Amino acid sequence: MTTNSLTFPRFIPRPKSDTGIWSWIGTVDHKRIGTLYGLTAFMWFIVGGIEALMIRVQLAQAESTLIGPETFNQLFTMHGTTMVFLVIMPLSAAFFNWLIPLQIGARDVAFPRLNALSYWVFLAGGLILNFSWITGNAPNGGWFGYAPNSGATFNPGLGMTYWIVGLNILGVASIAAGLNFIVTIINMRAPGMTMFKMPVFTWMTLVTSVLLVLAMPVLAVAGIQLQTDRVYGTHFFNSLGGGDPVMWQHIFWLFGHPEVYILILPAMGIVSEVLPTFARKPLFGYPFVIFAGIVIGFMGWFVWSHHMFTVGLGPAANSAFAISTMLIAVPTGVKIFNWIGTLWGGNLKLNTAMLFSISFIAMFTIGGLSGVMHASPPTDAQQQDTYFIVAHFHYVLVGGALLGIFSGIYFWWPKFTGWFLNEKLGLANWALMMIGFNLQFAPQHWLGLDGMPRRIYTYAENMGWENSNLAASIGGFVLGLGILVFMFNVLYSKMNKKIAPADPWDGRTLEWSTSSPPPPHDFDVIPQVQYRDDFWFKKYPETVAEYYGHGDDHAVPSGAQFDDEPVNAIPTVSGGAEDHGHGDDGHGGGHAIHLPDKSYYPFILGVGISILGIGFLTHFSVFLVGAPFFIWGLLGWSLEPVNDPA
Amino acid sequence: MWAFLGSDVMFFGAFIATYLVYRGRSLNGPYPSEILNIPVTSVSTFVLLMSSLAMVLGLHYVKEGQKNKGTLWILAVVLLGMVFIGFQMVEFSEFVNEGLTPRTNIFGTTFFILTGIHGAHVTIGVLWMAFLAYGSHKGTLRPDNALDLEIAGLYWHFVDIVWIVIFTVIYLISATDGPPPGAELLHG
Amino acid sequence: MHRVFKLSFPLRPAIVLLVPVAIALLAACTPDNNQSTFGTAGPIARDQAALFKFIFWIAAVVFVLVEGAVIYASIRFRQRSSSDKLPHQTHGNNKLEITWTIIPALILIAVAVPTLTQIWEQQSGVPDDRGEVLNVEAIGHQWWFEFRYPDHEIITSNELHIPVGRPVSFKLDSQDVIHSFWVPKIAGKVDMVPLNDNYMWMIGDEIGEYYGQCAEFCGIAHAHMRFRVFVHSEEDFQAWADGMHVAADAPAPGSPEASGQQGFNTYCSTCHTNNSTTPGSYAREISFQDARWNGWISDIENAAIVSAPNLTHFGTRTTLAAGLKELNHSTLVDWITDPSSIKIGTRMQEHAAVYNTEDGTADLSPGQVSDIATYLLSLKPGSGSGGGAPATGGGVVDGAEVFATNCSNCHSTTDIKIVGPGLAGIGDRAGSRVPGLGVDEYIKQSLTDPAAYVVDDYPAVMTDWGHLGTETIEALVTYLKTLK
Repeated sequence: MTTNSLTFPRFIPRPKSDTGIWSWIGTVDHKRIGTLYGLTAFMWFIVGGIEALMIRVQLAQAESTLIGPETFNQLFTMHGTTMVFLVIMPLSAAFFNWLIPLQIGARDVAFPRLNALSYWVFLAGGLILNFSWITGNAPNGGWFGYAPNSGATFNPGLGMTYWIVGLNILGVASIAAGLNFIVTIINMRAPGMTMFKMPVFTWMTLVTSVLLVLAMPVLAVAGIQLQTDRVYGTHFFNSLGGGDPVMWQHIFWLFGHPEVYILILPAMGIVSEVLPTFARKPLFGYPFVIFAGIVIGFMGWFVWSHHMFTVGLGPAANSAFAISTMLIAVPTGVKIFNWIGTLWGGNLKLNTAMLFSISFIAMFTIGGLSGVMHASPPTDAQQQDTYFIVAHFHYVLVGGALLGIFSGIYFWWPKFTGWFLNEKLGLANWALMMIGFNLQFAPQHWLGLDGMPRRIYTYAENMGWENSNLAASIGGFVLGLGILVFMFNVLYSKMNKKIAPADPWDGRTLEWSTSSPPPPHDFDVIPQVQYRDDFWFKKYPETVAEYYGHGDDHAVPSGAQFDDEPVNAIPTVSGGAEDHGHGDDGHGGGHAIHLPDKSYYPFILGVGISILGIGFLTHFSVFLVGAPFFIWGLLGWSLEPVNDPA
Repeated sequence: MWAFLGSDVMFFGAFIATYLVYRGRSLNGPYPSEILNIPVTSVSTFVLLMSSLAMVLGLHYVKEGQKNKGTLWILAVVLLGMVFIGFQMVEFSEFVNEGLTPRTNIFGTTFFILTGIHGAHVTIGVLWMAFLAYGSHKGTLRPDNALDLEIAGLYWHFVDIVWIVIFTVIYLISATDGPPPGAELLHG
Repeated sequence: MHRVFKLSFPLRPAIVLLVPVAIALLAACTPDNNQSTFGTAGPIARDQAALFKFIFWIAAVVFVLVEGAVIYASIRFRQRSSSDKLPHQTHGNNKLEITWTIIPALILIAVAVPTLTQIWEQQSGVPDDRGEVLNVEAIGHQWWFEFRYPDHEIITSNELHIPVGRPVSFKLDSQDVIHSFWVPKIAGKVDMVPLNDNYMWMIGDEIGEYYGQCAEFCGIAHAHMRFRVFVHSEEDFQAWADGMHVAADAPAPGSPEASGQQGFNTYCSTCHTNNSTTPGSYAREISFQDARWNGWISDIENAAIVSAPNLTHFGTRTTLAAGLKELNHSTLVDWITDPSSIKIGTRMQEHAAVYNTEDGTADLSPGQVSDIATYLLSLKPGSGSGGGAPATGGGVVDGAEVFATNCSNCHSTTDIKIVGPGLAGIGDRAGSRVPGLGVDEYIKQSLTDPAAYVVDDYPAVMTDWGHLGTETIEALVTYLKTLK
């Protein structure tokens, strides 16, 4: 609460220094939090990648006994969980954090301390989840945790409890981050930036955030129900007690399918920024790309049962979900065509970022087409739970999301750091990743059609699956080599710094208008927005008429939210940050450079939440340890003024 | 806050949907028709509804700057919320005495978890309101930052509305639910 | 500004992209592999493959057009010199947008029509015009398949026999976790959900042996949960079904088979039934299977019992351990000695008392193992003289033999509780159970009217054994009284 006269005893002084570890623990700067997200997620990416390579080593030959079934089950469970929740989502979050305020011309997000809390809770969730490896109790029920195989009867160890607690803690982080970005994007845009002048990446972030806020609670419910089944003997998914294991699948996929779009939409946003920049022309069909994204986000809620075509829901349900699933291919296609339209007639600078984005279109298309194949329940009856599905979603999540993210890394790296990544190494990185990726996953289509089920730790010699599996395993290592080249590139480029200017790519959006890296306050002067791709059109005013079909002279003064015409007169009120009552009120829309002070309380609250989580894993007495941190964090946060009196 | 409530709608929605899907699937008693006490719960529902009224009045007076009346009405919210929780605790312990626990059957499972989660929401609301009542008493909750109270009120009304839905779904709709057809056979 | 890469490498994506196309095309050409979804041997799999190919070729055209456009644009419009000449700053094109919304929608309608037709064909029960239906109940267990033929009163496991050209209607269920029933060459999969029956039907229209495998992750031995389907001519199927009701010949006294039978009855028959040939044995085996399951789930940690495959006429099988190994004496010996050397995680090794050793291998001498294997492999439809009753050397009924064959599934001869009570010392306590009933009367009542008195804390699951005949029951009572 914004209560200045209420005081709370401070056991620790407020962090003031701008350097050192305490400055990071107390940071509320969206750029630093973005960096933390990025580094942490990349660390998990290496962990998840090693898990994937171990899986590939085991499957490289028939009847292999290198890794037993128990470890194998843990590996694929943790690989899936890690890559989804600890890699792709937080890498996207890193971009959200870094870019959203910069793209909308704001100085921070709406709730900077809530933002810090999101990160600390995310870190805690990841650590708890992976701590299970050290105890030897890694989850082994699949990232989808199907009951009753994930229940206490058939899975008595602590593994799935780690999984539930870890995911629920990560869910808290995601919901908090989602709320933060929704409020930031709606309330803190620079003057003149109507919704339809926002960059596409910002739009996709908004759609993703809405999905996060709505989908993560559903996962939380699934987790709570499974947890009470496991620990307290309730009967949500216990068929002997009147429950139904299929219910778990409904709830999980009701979360799970929107989750797929949570993973892919940010990458689509990144690609929609990179392609126009290096094609040197605006995104083709901007409103259609935006609407397609919104439609995908909306329709993502009505397709969950296509994960369950073989569960026996009956022909009526299967028909309905087959149709809704096929429909979702239409807006996806619209996006792909618009990206090609963006390339068409452009002046393409084929650097690393651009190559990753173009490859994104190419690879994502393959994933989309194979998706249509199992949108049809009769063909899905042969493909469900086979390597065909594995191939499909890796084309979507690696060929799509990950390539998009790498494109974003090469694209925004100079903005984040002030120096370039090496382009020659970048080219090697791209080529190795593309070759390795396709070598790994293209044969898996064939394996699936040849009847190889998923999640089997071994297969017989007489099945005819050896060559394809060996190729896939080699591909996995080539892909891994590509990632190593990337890491080498970062080190090499850091040692041989090639300094980047503020606007290295002749960019289009507001982040390129400030220095590289940006100052703590992002913008010396909050920009006034007149156009979509405002920065570009101000650099090249002669192109305004070409894009809008008429010149400035026809522009109408307007402040309507959804207006996409250029404006002459900037409405004075920007709808800047409102002081919301959580105490984490952002600073104003930019009347004076005034940043929120650092705070330890998000970290303390995060510690409290994670100790409470550990309590579920160990003993209720641990709650007594966690509770003081929790209460201390909460009260300290509530009573601490955003800024100390100067 | 609206976004958060949207999130919470999904949360309760999933639990209520679970309850509805599993309605009438308990393989053994006690069944809802044997155990639900609608008159008593109607009283507690009324109490919760009244707390929303108190909430509206409290916000009104805080906005008007009438500190004491505002504090009083917020305290009334706290009190009514606590009464509601008290009712719920009595109900829970009575059910347990009559042999219905979350482990007994699928009705017990869905009933306790759904109403328990709601009770936890009410508890959080009570703590939040108590904090605000203290702020109001100290004079730090003023007309210019009444938004703090308005947001808390939004939450309170939301939790109240969720209860109306739960009351309808569990107490009114399922009041006559007995064993499912064929349950006797399972015990034979 | 930045370095611009020249010419050659936009071609690389083209090469890389061709790989999946080539591989996907290959897919249509090698149907010989055991679980290929293209080597179809039944109408359902054939329809599903045809639909796949239909969608595949549409997708192939879209693929070539889209990837072609991407590659063409990347080459044609790449920056040729360092000139920064701006291209036309186009806004978009509404007509194009509408076109590329409608065309995919039309394509998807083309896909949706055969999709819906097939859904209703395949998922609405067996059509009436396909011939006489064979009903099968397939039940998934961790980690093997049980097949019940209610019309024929046959129970078998891991090897399914069906007649060619006749529709088979499956009722799918699971006893523990979710499994999935899949014979790729005959029909796509349908999940087996515990206590939530699913139905599917299929027709195998080519005589032969087909591979099947569980397709839903079901725990540690998921990879090893396989089965076989044998599609027979109508005559062969009938012969098989009839044979399943002909008891195996009794082993000659003193033969390895006889010693193996004794070993089997002592160590294995608690969980495995191997003589479900007589009338009534079908219903009995179902109740045993339930009792074994209840025995396991009610006390998983200490259970000495678990549902297990029915081994009737095991000698006619071709595979071992749910389709894992070829069945012969040597693989069977390996299996009995140390199941985890073939299939890690088996419930048998986890729970059966005979594996309660330091290294987990069977507490049996190599000779015993070999005899049990020999005995099991000798289980085949006999000459017909056996008639179901156990061999009775010289007309005297051997009570121990009767017990081993009929009772030891649920009762131990010690204090250990399996499903029913352990029977050590039964002679001492039987007289005091029910007032007015002596030792013999009480035991006889328990055998012929088990529901009349059930000892506290035990389930009333025992069936009436009156069909054994007075002579056999007398022998059994005499034997039971000797247990200390």
